[in-house]
Amino acid sequence: MTTLIMIDQPPYGAWTGREALDMAFSLAAFDQSASLLFTGPGVNWLRQTQHAGGIEQKSVEKNLAAAPIFGMDAILADRAACIAYGLDEHSLIEGVTLVDADADLLTDYDHTAFAG
Amino acid sequence: MSETFTLVITGAPYSSQAPQTALGFAKAAVDAGHQIDRVFLYGDGVHLASALCAPPSDETHWPDEWSRFLTQHKIPGVACIASALRRGLVNETEQKRYELPSANLRAPFEIAGLGEWVEGRIKSTRTLYFHAGD
Amino acid sequence: MTDIQTLHILNKSPDHPRAARCVEMMSAEDGLLLTGNGVLLLARGNLLPGASKVFALIPDVEARGLGDLSGNVSSVDFAEMVTLSLQAQRVISW
Repeated sequence: MTTLIMIDQPPYGAWTGREALDMAFSLAAFDQSASLLFTGPGVNWLRQTQHAGGIEQKSVEKNLAAAPIFGMDAILADRAACIAYGLDEHSLIEGVTLVDADADLLTDYDHTAFAG
Repeated sequence: MSETFTLVITGAPYSSQAPQTALGFAKAAVDAGHQIDRVFLYGDGVHLASALCAPPSDETHWPDEWSRFLTQHKIPGVACIASALRRGLVNETEQKRYELPSANLRAPFEIAGLGEWVEGRIKSTRTLYFHAGD
Repeated sequence: MTDIQTLHILNKSPDHPRAARCVEMMSAEDGLLLTGNGVLLLARGNLLPGASKVFALIPDVEARGLGDLSGNVSSVDFAEMVTLSLQAQRVISW
């Protein structure tokens, strides 16, 4: 059973993104196939050099960098959203695969979920 | 044929319609002869498990409605521990562990980790999510 | 009812960014079930997906005074919502 966890909200302003990451990492921890799709403003989770200490939160850069080690299948980002937010290969963290988030993508997964 | 559902509620009562839509679905599923494997509260949905809700008497008491439904049909209800602790929903075990002034989790809800959600997904025919609408 | 590949359950109003995203990620073989604020899409008929089957949850439609539904939208109750969720090959709650 393959699962796609979608994150379409930006980091730090709300907690659903973190909750979505927890879902994806839990799936991986239980040996379930899981991928992450960042779309809309959610692609901003994937920007390099986030220093969140000043707002008393933790950046997820390290978690996402470690995602493959934890068994995550893929970190996907919507190409159009990345362009809209000025994210390219220089500003995106490593390990991100650009995709076109469309109906065809969804059919690759048995299960797609948001955290909220 | 009888199928199984895992229901995930991420919207809080009185902040969203999630508990109401989910209960309508759950009741219909049971009436149709299907089974609800478990109900998992995640994010703000954990507020549905509060023992301290006191809505006005002319409003539906959502935690109570859900408790009664789960108890009547012997359906496990789980509040995600990470979501619950952050938002101040604790059972007696967590109250003691964190030396908190009181416990406020409504029976029959239990507190457990995301593993419960993973397991529900694996076992159930369908897993549906009831999010807030905003 | 015809086979539905993916049932998309949308409870966000048309102005919510996720509503547009949902409609964009639908194919002609999919179904769209409007619940909660999602039923407001009925009042923005030009935004409805053209090719896919659209359903709307009755209590939410009636709550918002949208009982006068357009041609290709089927009104459903919770029992039918359960049936739809099982008929589709997969369900996505937006």
